[in-house]
Order: sequence, then C-alpha cells, then structure tokens
Amino acid sequence: MARRTKFVDSDILIIGGGFGGCGAAYESRYWGRGLKIVLVEKANIERSGAVAQGLSAINCYMGMQWGENQPDDFVRYTRGDLMGLVREDLVFDVARHVDSTVHKFEEWGLPIIKNPQTGRYLREGKWQIMIHGESYKPIIAEAARKSATEVYNRVMVTHLLLDRVRPNQVAGAVGFSVRDGSYYVFRAKAVIVAAGGGSHLYRPRSVGEGMGRTWYAPWSTASAYGLLIPTGALMTQMENRIVLARFKDGYGPVGAWFLLLKSHATNAYGEKYEESRFEEIKARVGKYADIKPMPTCLRNHAMLEEMKAGNGPIYMHTQHVLDTKEKEEVGWEDFLDMTVSQAVVWAAQNIDPKEQPSELITSEPYVMGSHATCSGAWASGPEDLAPADYQWGYNRMTTVAGLFGAGDTIGGSAHKFSAGSFTEGRLAGKAAVKYVLDLKGAPPQVDEAQVAALKEMIFRPLENYRVGRNEIVAGTVSPSYLTPLQGLQRLEKLMDEYVGGYSTFYVTSEPLLNRAMELLGMLKEDMEYLGAEDLHQLQRAWELHHRVLTAEAVTRHTLFRRETRWPGYYYRADHPQLDDAEWHVFTASQYDAQTGEWRMSKLPVHHIV
Amino acid sequence: MPTYTDMTRCDGCGECVDICPSDIMHIDPVYRRSYNIEPNFCWECYSCVKACPQHAIDVRGYADFAPLGHKVRVLREPEKGAISWKIRYRDGRVKEFAFPIRTTPWGSIKPPSDYAVPDAAALNSPMLAHEPEALKIAALPTLSPRDKEKV
Amino acid sequence: MALYLASLPSGTPENHGAATVFRGAVSASKAFHCSNGTLAGMEVEMFHTNPFTPVTDVIPALVMQVYIVLMILAVAIGTLFDTWHKGSAEFFARWRKKARAAAQRRLSGRETASLVVDTIAEAATSGEFGKGRRRTSHLLMMYGFLLHVIATAVMVFAHPTAARTPVILPLLWDLGALMILAGGLWFFFFLRVNVAYDGDSPFRLCRADLFVGSLLASAAFALAWHFMQTVSDNPTAALVFFTLYVFFTTLLFVSVPWSKFAHMFYKPAVAFQRKVEEASGASDLPRPAADHHGRR
Repeated sequence: MARRTKFVDSDILIIGGGFGGCGAAYESRYWGRGLKIVLVEKANIERSGAVAQGLSAINCYMGMQWGENQPDDFVRYTRGDLMGLVREDLVFDVARHVDSTVHKFEEWGLPIIKNPQTGRYLREGKWQIMIHGESYKPIIAEAARKSATEVYNRVMVTHLLLDRVRPNQVAGAVGFSVRDGSYYVFRAKAVIVAAGGGSHLYRPRSVGEGMGRTWYAPWSTASAYGLLIPTGALMTQMENRIVLARFKDGYGPVGAWFLLLKSHATNAYGEKYEESRFEEIKARVGKYADIKPMPTCLRNHAMLEEMKAGNGPIYMHTQHVLDTKEKEEVGWEDFLDMTVSQAVVWAAQNIDPKEQPSELITSEPYVMGSHATCSGAWASGPEDLAPADYQWGYNRMTTVAGLFGAGDTIGGSAHKFSAGSFTEGRLAGKAAVKYVLDLKGAPPQVDEAQVAALKEMIFRPLENYRVGRNEIVAGTVSPSYLTPLQGLQRLEKLMDEYVGGYSTFYVTSEPLLNRAMELLGMLKEDMEYLGAEDLHQLQRAWELHHRVLTAEAVTRHTLFRRETRWPGYYYRADHPQLDDAEWHVFTASQYDAQTGEWRMSKLPVHHIV
Repeated sequence: MPTYTDMTRCDGCGECVDICPSDIMHIDPVYRRSYNIEPNFCWECYSCVKACPQHAIDVRGYADFAPLGHKVRVLREPEKGAISWKIRYRDGRVKEFAFPIRTTPWGSIKPPSDYAVPDAAALNSPMLAHEPEALKIAALPTLSPRDKEKV
Repeated sequence: MALYLASLPSGTPENHGAATVFRGAVSASKAFHCSNGTLAGMEVEMFHTNPFTPVTDVIPALVMQVYIVLMILAVAIGTLFDTWHKGSAEFFARWRKKARAAAQRRLSGRETASLVVDTIAEAATSGEFGKGRRRTSHLLMMYGFLLHVIATAVMVFAHPTAARTPVILPLLWDLGALMILAGGLWFFFFLRVNVAYDGDSPFRLCRADLFVGSLLASAAFALAWHFMQTVSDNPTAALVFFTLYVFFTTLLFVSVPWSKFAHMFYKPAVAFQRKVEEASGASDLPRPAADHHGRR
C-alpha cells in the first residue's frame, strides 16, 4: 500500500507539547527569531500531557521577591527528599529561574490565589502556591502556538534519527499521523525531547475500566525514555521509580489537605503512625531519618508498614479541617481543578469530606523525572553552576550532540512539577538556539536507508493484524499476533510481580529481577508480533514499545543498585540497608542499538550547596 | 467509565475527537456520533466533557470502585473566564461550585517575538527571557566558583 | 415493465402500450430536432416541465399517489416501530418522568407554549449547530428536501398532467434537489465528522451513511432523470435514471428503522424536553457563572 511520506525540516524540533515542550517553544522563539521551530505532539497541545485536567497548585515556586526561599534552600530540600541523590546543579538552575516562569504565567492569565493578609501568593506549603488552575494547560498552549513556526497535533514520534555520518549526533525523528496514517520524517539541527514519563509500566491497582485512573496520565507512555534509550544516550537513576500516597482509587492530591488545610492521616484506629515508626526507619536509613520534612519515600514506608500490620484502612481526616465554607471550597477545588475523579468517588460513595474521612493508599510505581523522583537522561548542566564533569557545552543537552531534554526526560532534576518543567523547557530551548547558531558545516543528514526501513517497521503492526486476522473467525485471541493491550498487561504483570510492584509491597531481589529479565526477553521478542487493527492501535503499539524499553532500563538499574536507598519507593530484600559507602552515586546505563548490550556505570554525586 | 456520550445531545461535531489527550473519543459508524472506544485508557480528565458544545458528554465513575447514581457535571465558560460544577451524590445531595479559570482574554498572550530582540551578551548569559525583571529581584542567583568544587 | 419516454411538452396523454413508448421516443426526438432552442433553452425547458406527467402515460397517477402515501406511512411506521423495538419510547417516557420529579417548579401553559415556539424556531434555523459550515450545509439539505418533497406531492396529487402545472413547481422541484446536492455533497466529502476529524476516507461508507447516501442518490438521479427527459435525447438513460430514482427514494423512506432519518423527529422532541428541564430546574447542568451569588 502506498503510504504518503511528509518531510518536515526545521532548525529546532520539539517532541512533546506538554509543559516542557511548550516552555521550549516559547524560549527558543525568544532567542531564535528567525529560526524554524516545529512542535510535534501525539495528541492536541490544547489539553495534552500530565496537566490536561489542570492543577490546583504550583509546587515549585521560590518567592525570591519576598525573600521566602532561595535556590540553595530548594537544593537542600530536594536532596533530602531524594535521600541525598540529586543533580544539584540542575536543581539550583530550575529553582533560580522558576519564579520568572510563574510571574509570566500570571501575566498570561493564570489565576494565582493571593493571601488576603499579605497580598503575596497564597502558600500551600514552603515551596507550593495555590492556583485556580483548571485552564493551566490551555493558557500555556496558547503561548506555545504563538511561538512555534508549526505545531503538528496527532502525530506520534516513534524514533529519533542520528546523523548518517557523524557519530552520536541527532538529525531528526520519524513518526506517523494518528489520523491519516502519513509517515512523517522530521529533519532538524537540534531536537528537544519533552515527551512523557512512564505510567502503566506496573500493574495498576484498578484493572477494569479503572485501569484508566492511574495517578500519572495514561498517555504518559515513557516516550521520553523510549526515544532516548536507542540513541545510546546515557540514562540515569532509572531505578528511582516513584510511589505516591494519595486518596484511594481516585488518586486525588493530598498536598493541600496536609499543608494548607492542616489535615492529618491516621490508621483505622485513629493512631498517627508516622512518629511510632521512626526508630525502625532510622535503623534502615541512618541519618536520613532525621531529614525534615520527612522524605516522601519514608512517609510511604511508614504507611506501608502500617498497612502490612493490618492497621488499615489509612484515613485522611478531612472532616476535622473543613469548618468554614471557604475551606470546603478549597477542598473541593483541589480535586475539581486537577483530579475530578476523586470528586466522582466522593459523590459515588456518598462521602462528604465535611462529615467523614477518606482512605489513602500507596499507588503503583511510576517512572518519571519531574516529581519527587528523577529518572531520565544524564544531561549537561549550566555553565556557571555545574562542576566540570557535569557539563559539556550546552545546558540540558544529553550525551548525544544536539539532543536536548526537558521535564520528565531529564534525570537527577527532581521536584520540578509544572512550572519547573516549563522552566527546564525554557533552559533547553535557549541552549538549543545557541547550539543551532554555533553549528558549523553542513546540517545533520538523516540516513535515507534507515528512514525507509523505519517506515516499514513502524507500520508493520497494521500488516501483522491485517494478514494474521485471516486465521481466526473473530475476537481478540490470535496465535500469531499480540494486541497492544495484551502486551501491556503482560508487561504490567511481570513488573508488578518481579520488579517491586504494589502486589509485593514494592519488594524485589536479585533472583526476582533476573526472572524479570527472562520474561522481558520473551516479551521483547513477542513485540515483533504486535498486531494493530487501526491507527489508534498502532499508537498504542508504539507506546508499548517505549514502555518496554523503559521497563528494561528500570530492571537493569534496580539490579545494579545493590542497596535500598528509597524504602517506600522500593526495597531490595537482599540489600535492605542504605549504603552510602558504595552507593552514594548516580546509576547510569547506556544501550548499544547495534549489539543490544547495556553498559552500567556509576556517576559521582557532587554536593555544591 | 469514564466518559459516555448522550445519544440525544450529540450531533457529531467532532470537538471531543479533536481534544482527547488519550485519543479515545471516536465516531460510531452506526450513528455518526461520538463514543468512548477505550474506557480503560480514560483518565476522566473531562477535556471532552468541557469541549462539547452540546454538553453531550458526561462521566460515569469507573465501575471498579464508583457505585452508580452520581453525577459530576461541569459548565466551562471560557469567555467568562469561569467554570461551574454541579455534583449530585448517589444519595441525592447536591453541591455546586464555581471557580475562575483565567484572568485575561483568550488570545491575549504577547508572542515572544513581539519583544525586543535580545543581544549577544544576553544570549551568552545564563539569563532566560525577561530576566532579571521577571524574577522581580535584582539579579539571577548563581553560585561562587568555590561552591562548584565542593563535594 | 412499461415505462415512458420524453414526452412532448404540451402533449396530451396517449394510449398506453409499448407502441406508444416507441412512438413517443420518435416524436420526442423529432421534438428536439424541431426545436430551435439552444442548450440553455433546453435547460429552461427542463425547469418548466413536470417530470411526472410523462409517467402518467404509462402508470396511472393514482399509483404514484399511493406510492407517496406509502412512503409517508413507511416513515411513520418505521419511526414508531424503531422506538418500540429499541425501547427508546420507553426510555424517553421514563426520562420525562424523572425530569418531572426533579423539577423545582411547574411551567405555565404560556411558558410551555413559548418553549414549543423556541424549539420550532431553533429547528427551522438549524440553530442547534451553533455557527458554521455544518449549520449552512444542514439548512441546504433540510430546506432542499422539504422543497423537493412538497413539490413532488403537489405535482403528483394536484397536477399529474402537464397542461395545468404551474411552471414554478418543477423549478422548485429541481431547485430542492440541487440544494440537497449542494449541501449534501459538501457535507458528505468535507464535513462528515468521521472524515473531518477521525481520518476516514470520504469514500468509506458505513451504516450512518444510509440516510444521507440514499438522500443524495435520490436527488442526483431525480435531476439526472429530469435532464434526460427534457434535454437529452437518450430515452434509455432517462429510463435507467428513473429506475434508480425510484429505487433510492424507496430506500430512503423504507430504511428509516436503520438509518438516521428519524432524527428529524427525535431531535426536536429532545430539544423541547431539554428546554423544559432547564426552565423547570430539573437540568443536571450547573447554572451559568453569572447566576452564582457572591462567587470569587
């Protein structure tokens, strides 16, 4: 079947139209007035990405104008929350710029709630401010549309392209239109990957329709990592998967409840359990138990121990803090602005938060780089901040020349959330402009043979289905092809059972991880036989490819780090202690697409603050 | 579920197909109206619900854990900068809320290319667009060279 | 099956029978040869000619009239059968009952009447589409259809013979068909949501296309038949097009239980019901923002 190929040339190609990508578009246009900047998104940038629904708070704002926080305070905070291991140069860099991002957001029309006494932004907590954020994404998308030369919606990028002759240099990307099936070949001098982190690598707690209600968006399909890994870009901290303690089933946010409304959680018997578990935690992680505020993973750990002891359900006592109409509105808006499903749960289960508590639970694990976690690509830091071995010329550039990242893509850069991811996009955008302006000689050249081979590979699942379908009468069971959902559920089950999913209380070990590698190996082989009924299923197929690649990275990194650094995120049962002597380092991996080999290594953690 | 489309309200305009971040709102071949093809990939983000000009889409909470009889309906009025919610409990209680969504007119963001072209010095500095003014402090924070070498 | 051919515009019905058919063909072609009109003149000829008159040479007017009545019945029975069989009538009844129970106030007769008027006005202007191309194309199709159907009925019932047909009628008949084609082809190739938004090729047909497809075919073959009757001298083509016209017209009306045809009844009924709910406070939608008191 003749399939149309569309070539799109640009100076800067931005993959992913979420907060990272929109920030990159804005900033690269500011610095590169004459450049051709193309933004490509598999959905519609108006509501794509993790912030589709909106947000009720900005979780990364210093408030330097009022002397509230300084960037080095933020570095200490994130370092503590990640048990010592963050890229302090990257974190400082985001922290020192994020205030200007937030001020621009307000100027653009984002309603930021003010403290009526002080006139300042209303603080939810030390780093967080409250917003009326239902339209957060549409506002940011408007800025991106006014910045990019062209925006391609409904085009899924499946692979990056490297230069035909110059080793380790990016040249573009390929993908397909989810609507009309055209093959897209993007050729660019610089590429910024701002795609999503990974939901649905692990079996979610709800498995029917409820599978859709993951904490992180189901369309965050680990493309940030799935695109980078095959290029040989150095990846870091892929074992640092995050588990969230949230309202049960709906996964509604807890930040405003704990920090602003000052609610608290107890076990089923009304006992505040965090304090009672302190000694046990100290025995595991030593001095890290004294960090204030208590690191996210350790709070999870306390809750998990409580649940294992049979003292659940764990409850958030909302009914103690909603004593005014205004507070009731805050409580509801918190959900309606960003996780409407939790409001649906309340309405469905007859829970009025004014009258009764709500259950909390720990989620299934996620792999991402913009929250209380920092998996992603190893990236060059800012020139004025980064130690010598943390920078190689252009801020937020990966170890592949011309290949930049922002948001979930970048590792070691924790606690960015929305405003920080947009800020990191800005950083990558400006650096990419400099890179393009510095570029000497001929622009990068794509490998025509590779482009042709990829075209066949990308659309093959459609062919697998079309032909294989002839074998069966009807239905979804075929001996010769796998539907993307079937492949996804196999992945989720094996990750859950062997790589520390919720069903094992996040516990794994070397024998379990080795078994995971065996099963992953067979799944990878079966990926050849994915069958896609239509273009929508083809999108699902390539999302699965990105997830499987990422899952392998997660498994290998988890094997490599022989300690339990983040109890409450996951546990190595065979190495239950935190081991600063050996493991106060970043883990790193590099995949060789030619040989299929992975090389693991350690990278130093520098404390610059 | 995730979302479902009301047969009597939908007139097949396609706004939901266009907006869905999960690519799961599509057109039924019998009625040429929309429906949710993959409820298990629905995040209940309400993008389609808000985008539908006929208010034809609604959410029925995931069957895994949401008993029947509830309604969480929304009216987003972008031209007013407002959003309104009407929540009906399974037991009949009703709660209503309204919140602002934007303080400026849609389409009013100043494009980055409308600002003065930055000079080479600015390009080579660590500052981002509109800085340091947009930081609302005097200068961009940095670390002394001594700090960089601390390990 | 005996059919007719192009007739002399001012001729009187002659004896039925195959001989007539051939004789008619000869005289028809003679007529064309005799005519000193240009092509444009022949087209004007078309708009003045009652297409059904020649049919009555071969088929009694009564048959055509019965056909029309049967088609109307097919729509009514089809719609009623559909609602009974699918249970949508029961669904609508229960819905109305629930809405009445949820109503916060009763509407007066005057209010109700005003809502009826609103509903009719909205339907008449296709206002439910808001602004835009879909509304325009729907107006073309809707009024084209009405024009064409009414002109058909008037010509068949009141003027089955040409001598007494006011020239406005065939003109409106053709105009209606042209409007259907204009709005319908535009809709079919460019505006159908599965084509415009869902990536389908415009040539991909599915059950939802049964209504608009048979409507377009009926209108297209009506015009083609009329053209062949009056302008062209191809009696076989005219016969073929007449057959196709009757086939697709019948399909249009008979397929009501399986097509989108019945939306012309359901939509206004539902629109009225929704207006009543909104006015009586039974709507589950939030009130528009300005109505809230003292919100931020």
